[in-house]
Amino acid sequence: MQPVVQFDNVTKSYGKHVAVENLNLSIEAGKFVTLLGPSGCGKSTSLRMLGGFETPNSGRILLGGKDVTRVPPNKRNVNIVFQDYALFPHMSVAKNIAFGLELKGLDNQRIHRRVNELLELVQLQDYAKRLPSELSGGQRQRVALMRALAPDPEVLLLDEPLSALDAKLRQQMQIELKSIQEKTGKTFMFVTHDQEEALTMSDTIVVMNKGKIEQMGDPNTLYGRPGSVFVANFIGETNLLRSTVVGTEGETAALSWNGITIKAAQGGLTPKAGDHLYVVLRPEAIHCSAAEPTSGNRIKGKIRHRVFKGNHTSLSVEVGDGTMLNALVHPSDVTQLNGEDIWVGWKPETTTVIPDRHAHN
Amino acid sequence: MRNMFADAPRTSLTAIYWAFLLYLLLPLTLMMAMSFKDANFVAFPIGEWTLDWYAKVMQDKQFLEACLYSVMIAACSTLAATTLGTWIAMLIVAEGIKGQIIIFALACLPAVVPGMISAISLRIFISTIDMPTGTAAIILGHTVHAVPFVVVMALTRLRSMPGNLVDAARDLGADSVVAFFRVTLPYLKPALVGGMIFCVLLSIDDFVRTFFLGGYRPTLPMLIFAKVQGGMSPEINAMATLVLVVTAAVGLYAEYLTRRARTR
Ligand SMILES: Nc1ncnc2c1ncn2[C@@H]1O[C@H](COP(=O)(O)OP(=O)(O)OP(=O)(O)O)[C@@H](O)[C@H]1O
Ligand SMILES: [Mg+2]
Repeated sequence: MQPVVQFDNVTKSYGKHVAVENLNLSIEAGKFVTLLGPSGCGKSTSLRMLGGFETPNSGRILLGGKDVTRVPPNKRNVNIVFQDYALFPHMSVAKNIAFGLELKGLDNQRIHRRVNELLELVQLQDYAKRLPSELSGGQRQRVALMRALAPDPEVLLLDEPLSALDAKLRQQMQIELKSIQEKTGKTFMFVTHDQEEALTMSDTIVVMNKGKIEQMGDPNTLYGRPGSVFVANFIGETNLLRSTVVGTEGETAALSWNGITIKAAQGGLTPKAGDHLYVVLRPEAIHCSAAEPTSGNRIKGKIRHRVFKGNHTSLSVEVGDGTMLNALVHPSDVTQLNGEDIWVGWKPETTTVIPDRHAHN
Repeated sequence: MRNMFADAPRTSLTAIYWAFLLYLLLPLTLMMAMSFKDANFVAFPIGEWTLDWYAKVMQDKQFLEACLYSVMIAACSTLAATTLGTWIAMLIVAEGIKGQIIIFALACLPAVVPGMISAISLRIFISTIDMPTGTAAIILGHTVHAVPFVVVMALTRLRSMPGNLVDAARDLGADSVVAFFRVTLPYLKPALVGGMIFCVLLSIDDFVRTFFLGGYRPTLPMLIFAKVQGGMSPEINAMATLVLVVTAAVGLYAEYLTRRARTR
C-alpha cells in the first residue's frame, strides 16, 4: 500500500547546525506514529517540514504520493495541533473549529453540522459559544484537536500537545487521543520526548537522536529488542551489562561479565568470540531469592537500596566489583533488608544484546 | 515635637502634591466658571450665572463648521496613520527583513521632532512638490505626526501575540492576507482602537502644523485662536469648555480600552 507520508532523504540545517539529517521515513495510512527523542533532536523540525513551515535543504517530502516539499502550508492537506494550542483568542470555540471549514468553502449548513459533530465527539457541545480563555487546559486541548481534525486532513500532526497538562489529565488525554484516532481512522503523527506517552499510544515509534532515526518499530519491539544503547536507555529503565563473547551455541551466546559467565539470546546478531556486547536486562526480568536459583543466569549480591513503591519494590543490588543492578520485585517476594545478601537471577531469553559500537577490538 | 519633625518630609510631599493639583486644575476651573458668567467680559466677580453663552456657541455657524472641519481632518489623518502605522509595525516584526531597527527609528522620528521644526519642514516639503496649502496638506502633516504612536501601540500588542496564531491560520488554509485580516487584525484591535482615539485627539489639538499647512478654512484651534486675538469673551470659554469635556471623555475611554486590552 502507498504510504501517506514519505520523507525521502530529507536534510534541514540552520546555519552550520544540522537539525535533521538524511531522514528517510514512510508512514502508513491510519497509523498512530510517534517521533520520540530527547530535546533538540529534530522532532519539531521534521513535523514543521511536513506542515510546510520549514523547507528542507535537500530531499523530498511526499504526501499521498505527491511531492509537497515546496508547497506552502495553506495548500497542504495536513493540520497541526500546536503545543500551546494556538486557539484564536477572539473567536468562540465553534468559530475556531469552523475556521478551516470556512476556508475550504463549505456552505454554512455543512459547517454547522460538522462543528457539532466534532464537539460531540469530545463532549463539548455546551461550550460552543465560549471563548478559549473561558476553557480549562484539557478543554482547550480538545478544541485545538477538533479544529485541526475539522478540515479532514490526510495526516494530523501533534507537537507535544499534552505537555502543558498536569500528570493526571495527561494520562486521561492519552487514552482519549488514542480512541479518537481509532474512531476517525486518521493517520496521527505525534511528537513527544516522553517515552511513556509514546509507549501508551503508538502503533509505531520512531526514536530520533541528533537529527537521525535511531530505531523504528512497534512499542513492544522497541522495549523488548532495543537496537542501540541509546534506545535501551531512552525507553524504559534498563541494566546494561557490558560483556565479552566467549562462545556461541545455536541462538544463545555465552558471555563473560563481572567474573561470571552468562547466557543471552543473540537476537539476530552473529557475534564472534572476543566481541564486546551489551546485554539489556530489564529490571522486571530479574528475580531475587535467598537461595541460589537452580537454572538461568545468576549472581550473588548485596542489597544497597530498597524502595517500597506500593505495587512493587525497587531494589539496587551490588554485584561483584561495585556494579549495581536495578530490580523490580513484588514486595512480598523479597524480605531481605539493606546490606543483606541476595541472589539475583534471570532467564537468558528475557534479555537481548546490543553491539558495542565504540569497541575497538 | 518629635512626631512633627518625623512627619515633616511626608507633610511637605503631600503639600506639594496638592499645590500641583491646584496649579493644574485652577486655570481649567476658572475657564469653565467664566463660561457661565452673565456679562460680556472675562473677570471676577461673577455676578449672575447663565447658559446663554452655550446657546450662542451652539448656534455659531463658524464654530460648528470649524468643529466639522477638525473632525473631518482628524478622521482622515487617523485612518491614514492607523493603516500606515500598522503596516510599519508588521514590517518591523516580520522575519527576514533587514534594517528593522532603522525602520523603527525612522517611524518614531516625527514624535520627537519639535512641532515647529516639523511644521516648517512639512511646509517646505509641500511647496517643493507643488502641493497647495489646505486640507490635504493638513491631513498629511497630522498623519506623519500620528504614525509613531500607532506604530508603538501596534508593536507592543504584536510582540505579545503568540507566534503560533498566524501559523495555525496558515495551517488551516489561510493565505497570508486572510491570516492577517482574520487573525492578526482582530488581535490588534484593542491596541488600534486606543491608538486611533489618540490620533484623533492629537489631530484635533494640533495648532502649529495646521497653522503652517492650512488654508483659509479654520480648524477649531485656529478659530479659537482668531477669536482670542479679537478679545476675550465668555463665549470662547464656553467653546473651550465644550472641547475640553468632549476630548477628556474620549481620552478616558481610550485609556479604559488600552487598560482592558492589557489585562486580557
Ligand atoms: N529556527 C531555528 N533556527 C536555528 N536553529 C533551530 C531553529 N529551529 C530549531 N533549531 C535547532 O534545530 C535543532 C532541532 O530542533 P527541534 O525544534 O526540531 O527539536 P525538538 O526535537 O523538537 O526538541 P524539543 O523536544 O525541545 O522540542 C535544535 O538543536 C534547535 O536548536
Ligand atoms: Mg519541539
